Amino acid sequence: MKKSKLLVLGLLPLLLASCNTTNGEAEVDEEGNAIVKVLFHVDSKSKEGIAYKKLVDGFNREYASEKIKASATFKTRTAGGADYQAQLISAKLDDALADVITFDAPNCSSYAEAGLLHDITDEMTSEELDDFISVNTYQERIYGLPIQESSAGFYYNKALFAQAGIDVSGYTVENPWTFDEFKAACAKLLAIGKTPVDMRLNATKDETATYLLYPFIHAAGGSFVSKDGLTCEGYLNSEASIKGFQFFKDLVNANYTSYSVGDNDFVTGKAAMYLSSGWTIPELDNNYPEMFPNRDSWGLLPYPKDVNRASATGSWSYAVTNNHIQDKTNAIKLIKYLTKAESTTTVTNATGMIPSRLSCDPKYAANSPEAVLFEQLKQTGIARPETVGYPEFSTNFRNIIYKLKDGNVREVVNQQTANLQSELNEYK
Amino acid sequence: MDLILSAILIFVAFVLIFLGVFIIDIIRAKKHNQKYRFKPMLASFLFLLPAIVLAFFFVVLPIIYSLAYSFTDYNLLKPEQISFNGFDNFVKIFKDIASGGMLSHAIQNTLLFVVLVVPLQIGLALGLALFCNVKVKGNFFFKVCFFTPVVISLTITSYLWLEILSPSETGLLNSFLGLFGVAPQDFINNPKMTIIWIVIISAWQGCGYQMLIFLSALSGIRKDLYEAARLDGCNAWQRFLHVTLPGLRPTLLYITITVFIGACRIMVQPMLMVGYQENSVTLSYLMYYEGYSKHYVGYSAAIALIMTIVIGTITLLQRKFLGGKNNG
Repeated sequence: MKKSKLLVLGLLPLLLASCNTTNGEAEVDEEGNAIVKVLFHVDSKSKEGIAYKKLVDGFNREYASEKIKASATFKTRTAGGADYQAQLISAKLDDALADVITFDAPNCSSYAEAGLLHDITDEMTSEELDDFISVNTYQERIYGLPIQESSAGFYYNKALFAQAGIDVSGYTVENPWTFDEFKAACAKLLAIGKTPVDMRLNATKDETATYLLYPFIHAAGGSFVSKDGLTCEGYLNSEASIKGFQFFKDLVNANYTSYSVGDNDFVTGKAAMYLSSGWTIPELDNNYPEMFPNRDSWGLLPYPKDVNRASATGSWSYAVTNNHIQDKTNAIKLIKYLTKAESTTTVTNATGMIPSRLSCDPKYAANSPEAVLFEQLKQTGIARPETVGYPEFSTNFRNIIYKLKDGNVREVVNQQTANLQSELNEYK
Repeated sequence: MDLILSAILIFVAFVLIFLGVFIIDIIRAKKHNQKYRFKPMLASFLFLLPAIVLAFFFVVLPIIYSLAYSFTDYNLLKPEQISFNGFDNFVKIFKDIASGGMLSHAIQNTLLFVVLVVPLQIGLALGLALFCNVKVKGNFFFKVCFFTPVVISLTITSYLWLEILSPSETGLLNSFLGLFGVAPQDFINNPKMTIIWIVIISAWQGCGYQMLIFLSALSGIRKDLYEAARLDGCNAWQRFLHVTLPGLRPTLLYITITVFIGACRIMVQPMLMVGYQENSVTLSYLMYYEGYSKHYVGYSAAIALIMTIVIGTITLLQRKFLGGKNNG
């Protein structure tokens, strides 16, 4: 009996040891440095991870005299980022959240509303804010600073466009093609026996479809939710929004695109256009020398406009967390170091993405795909809706895209709007 | 800290129950004037202790927490704001079902999946086991082939099947059908076919494991029974019906129950192959989505509780009706 009691009692200290006893002060290492912890969402051995390591090392050198030291943890996110989010939630539950985290920008509202993120509005100067292309806000307060930015557009096969007799030289970010001109180009491409465009309508398993397709609704004059992010009735199913969704359906009905465009149809010459983000640029530069030997063989066109110009934005951001550490001074120093122009350039050089600060001045060649995306981002970029119910919004948006294949546009949009509204009502 | 404290309290309660059983055992022995052999009993309880501790942390504790959360408004991002909300989550479940929302689709899809996959997977496994049980040269090769899908990750097989079923004309199945002039089909996203394809893929992937269990059970059936049946003039079908099947009965019950429980938990294939859609959502997927994407742990736990009760009840009924006298 004595032994069994000992075994049972022996487990209690183990349980107690797992409990994070915190006193609200930063951890201090043997050399007397105050540790500021940062969690990154990528593999430490990836190009992006190496860039972050470089930044952390640079921070540690710069703040060595102030006895502040950053300690980085890398948790590779997989598709959808659910496991990374699980890590954040688990850390919050254990009261072991890092001082600075990276997070996917659309989650800003739900994280901020839940108290996960620290309000840094008062820490930002107007000069700093003017330099960022966008920052992550919730209820007009700043909770996150972007690591980098993104934009998307239509990659096109120049040979096929020439064959179809399409001249796109006049379509610029300032004066993009219209919905009708887009359809006219598709008609010509269909006439030469090609799939005119891969609109990524089948990318509804994750955020891809939402990210790439929401600008069309803005372009048609529509919107998604009210300013407080809690009402979608009258926004998502407004006439203008329905017109935006109808544009997709029209393309499908006219065989300009379909839900069964193959993943490789653009790079094998079966499809003439491909809607994608900036990450496709290095792929086309390096991976398909037969189809795309150089940049004379492909180009990038901006999003088409209807009543508005609009394009996709948003990437991952940094945030200071509301963890157990009371004094946020060191965390603020770290986030400011990580987002300064030189640091941003270090990361974007590794990722090929667009810098989040205007002062980075990436010096892209005129009319290069990168320049098109950068200009488009500055001039027409619109963030995805700011709502605490963003996961619900994204799911319902993707459900609309998925159901448009067989359904009536108005009915599908109204059904998903009603569904989303009932979900948003739970936040009221 | 509250979580740790409550875990300790539950653990203490669990240990007290454990000790209670021990004491009741002593009292019962004394009541019947039997000599209680203290040391051997203590040794047996100590041998059980590691398994009990593991079961406590990985089975009992999650069940207790899940049960408790189902009566709360627990939001994963706001654990400090948790509050008791009575039967609100259960009321919401029935409202969601009545309104024909995602939950009703999840129930329909899960039911359809279970009804189709259990007989198909068990039938396939039994067929493959009978095929591999014949002692011919090279049947080890077939055993390896049939078992291989079991050891491949669900994620990999899901993506492999996505390539096979790709709606593009370059998809494997569409390319093959194209040889006969059939236009490309969107197999997996056809609302009427999504679950059917997931049934086929799941049965293909899972049946190899049950095949091994059947093979082991087949080797345990006495050969003289087959000889006697042969002497009595039984044909192959009659020998299967009157010798093999009765010999496999306990194994069949075990496999039916495990395949049924596994089928009720289907999630990975619909999640990776289709996403969160009406034609693909299942109960486990819905629980995951409600709990992790929408952060409504309370609601998710309430669905889990009802699902556990339903699965438990059906499993007991299976034991009663399929298990015969010994298991009834």
